[in-house]
Amino acid sequence: MKNRRFLVGLAGVAAVVSYLMWTGVRDSMVYYMTPAELVARIEAEPAFRDVGVKVSGRVVEGSWQRLPGPEHEFRVADLADPGVVFSVRFDDVVPDTFNDRAEVVLEGKFGPGEVFEARTVLTKCGSRYEAAKEDFAT
Amino acid sequence: MTTLGEVALWIALPIALWGTVLSFAGGRTGRTDLVLSGERAAYALTFLLALASAGIVAAFLGERYEFWYVASYSNRELDTYFKVAGLWAGQRGSLVFWTLLLSGFASIAVFRNRRRNREFMPYVSGTLLAILSFLLVVLLFAEVNPFERLGFTPANGRGLNPQLQNYWMTIHPPTLYLGFTAFAVPFAFAVSALLTGRLDSRWIAVTRRWILLSWFFLTNGIIFGMRWAYEELGWGGYWFWDPVENASLLPWLTATAFVHSIQIQENRGMLKVWNMCLVVATFLLTIFATFLTRSGLIESVHSFAENLKIAYIFLGFLGAVAGICAVLIIYRLPLLKGESAIQSFVSRESAFLFNNLLFVGIAFAVVWGTLYPLITEGFFGQKINVGPPYYNRVNVPAGLILLALMGVGPVIAWRRASKRNLRKNFALPVAAGIAVAGALLALGVRHWAALSTFAISAFVLTVIVAEFWKGTRARARISGEGRWKSLLNLVGRNRRRWGGYVVHAGVVLVFTGLAGAAFDVAVTQELAPGESVAVRSAFGHEYSLTYESLSHSRPRASAANRENDWRWTALVTVRRGGERLAVMRPERRFYPVMDQSSTEVGIHSTAFEDVYVIPRDVDLESGAERVVFEVKVLPLVPWIWYGGMIVAAGALVSLWPAGVGSGRTAAGGRVPGAAAGQAA
Repeated sequence: MKNRRFLVGLAGVAAVVSYLMWTGVRDSMVYYMTPAELVARIEAEPAFRDVGVKVSGRVVEGSWQRLPGPEHEFRVADLADPGVVFSVRFDDVVPDTFNDRAEVVLEGKFGPGEVFEARTVLTKCGSRYEAAKEDFAT
Repeated sequence: MTTLGEVALWIALPIALWGTVLSFAGGRTGRTDLVLSGERAAYALTFLLALASAGIVAAFLGERYEFWYVASYSNRELDTYFKVAGLWAGQRGSLVFWTLLLSGFASIAVFRNRRRNREFMPYVSGTLLAILSFLLVVLLFAEVNPFERLGFTPANGRGLNPQLQNYWMTIHPPTLYLGFTAFAVPFAFAVSALLTGRLDSRWIAVTRRWILLSWFFLTNGIIFGMRWAYEELGWGGYWFWDPVENASLLPWLTATAFVHSIQIQENRGMLKVWNMCLVVATFLLTIFATFLTRSGLIESVHSFAENLKIAYIFLGFLGAVAGICAVLIIYRLPLLKGESAIQSFVSRESAFLFNNLLFVGIAFAVVWGTLYPLITEGFFGQKINVGPPYYNRVNVPAGLILLALMGVGPVIAWRRASKRNLRKNFALPVAAGIAVAGALLALGVRHWAALSTFAISAFVLTVIVAEFWKGTRARARISGEGRWKSLLNLVGRNRRRWGGYVVHAGVVLVFTGLAGAAFDVAVTQELAPGESVAVRSAFGHEYSLTYESLSHSRPRASAANRENDWRWTALVTVRRGGERLAVMRPERRFYPVMDQSSTEVGIHSTAFEDVYVIPRDVDLESGAERVVFEVKVLPLVPWIWYGGMIVAAGALVSLWPAGVGSGRTAAGGRVPGAAAGQAA
């Protein structure tokens, strides 16, 4: 008796939570890609230009331009394959930790043009900032 | 000092292993000399790890940049207290700190029980020493030794990330770690209960205060973290469902479920298997949190390839602990049978059960969302993230039901509630809830989640106040004491219960504070000195903020070459309805060593709302000193912090030793250890 009620309660809560989780995932999921993955995906499937994605890469040194607005333009390269680079436009205030070597996570889409229109720009979180041993050698 | 610390770390490992083996052997054979030796290993470890930690701090204070860890998290110009906090600024130091706290708690547990609960103790110290051994192996062999040398000495360190240069940095991580590590003690007692087969409620009674202590620190740690985010990260929020935040929330969720479900076991002898699972799960989640927080596994599998080694070690440990505990629980299933059954859905058991299912359900949803990128990458080769809307979708309804249960659980009858019990306890609170909902609707509030939060909060608060009122009145009538005296004695007689009510009242305040976010107002405007911006808050207050001037300050002018940061401070006057309230000094800072800038927001708190000013951008080139300000008025945010303090106070009331306070003498009262001494 006790077990059955316990299981009914468990099943009920599990069903409701799963339903909410399922719709929550459906409505808020975002692809998280590297620049190389995004470029390859768009070549294979041009409609993917209009899908909002998160892209993580590194800002190309010296590419950061501030336009009046506050608007920013910079180029982002793939972490593993620095040959893959694209331009980014962002028309809001960049985070404090942003600079022209920062590792960034962009959220946005290409749309029709060749410039990635970023809706948000995040830099990698502070507490995990660590220098590699080689960084001290210079 | 640093060399001593390094050596101490190496000596600690064999002692921990030795102590583990002796404790388990002593428990098995019943030889007290072995058990005693194992317990002494715990004391020795605390001493050695204190030495190791002191060694790290000494290296920071002594600017010993030949150590990779020191060079990575500090620089010469850094303030002294941030150098001390360097101990927990990064992965390596925080692992040592974690281990130190765990060994400290192990020693306290062993010391306090040196003459009590002898049947449990060998396995308790054995389990704790085994966990310590694991952490020491990680520290020494998983390439995370904080004493690793660079091979050369850089002229200066890389500096501490500006976002960590905030006073909460010195408070928040230790508090959270205290919560994580304190939970190892109840876990060790649970394992001991499984091993010895003494599976009545004894282990819970012994560790109840440890559980509450851990919960107290976890709760405070999370709230301090929210405050840190609110004051330092400068976007006007306090929670972002970031993997690191989620990691700290997960053990809190299961621990909170556990705090409630043990009451059913103690009162009705039910849910024994469930409680075992919860205590194991919570412990695993504290380890998971520690490792997730510092490994970067979730967000950046690619860039942290060298750290995957530690990820595998931790996952292996988690798997091993989960496996061993599962086998033990299955082996002891016959002894874990419930002594009674649920008789009615309308009962306290049922309310508590529902509470537990919801907490675990939320925990599961949070785990799922946090690990979703890894899951989708594993199965489909493509990372997919979920954002705050996902978490809100699940957790807002679940949280609201939990909020309502806080009003139901404490007053509904055990076993089966009668109609009379329901009417007597709930008529007034339900009326209060409906009245608040009606009033808010009439005022034009249409945000359903916020509206429900306020209405349910009114319901719960009425229940709690009525309980205090009834209890005090009954006591005053019987004892003839005055109102206040009988209230104090009432709480003193059953701290756990009344402390719990205080915690609930604090949680209600936190919930209303969170719901205030539905009414945030924000304006962004570029201002020249002398110009103003007006904002109207959700409460209808008219604020006007005037940007007076910009000053470029050099706070450490006396040591011109030793500047940690340069500051541009804006002077902003806040007026409400023409009356001058405050002058704020929001800042932009630049950290030359780190080559990073940071924002220090200006916050003016009133009883009901915060005025929050973010200097988004300072124009330094044209000389016009124009600043882009984002001004937010955030209703009820202060209530989150007040609520947090009330929760902390209630938790303290609940976990305070029964001997202290009520048994105070003119000589200054009894100390907690005295009870143990007298038992001998």
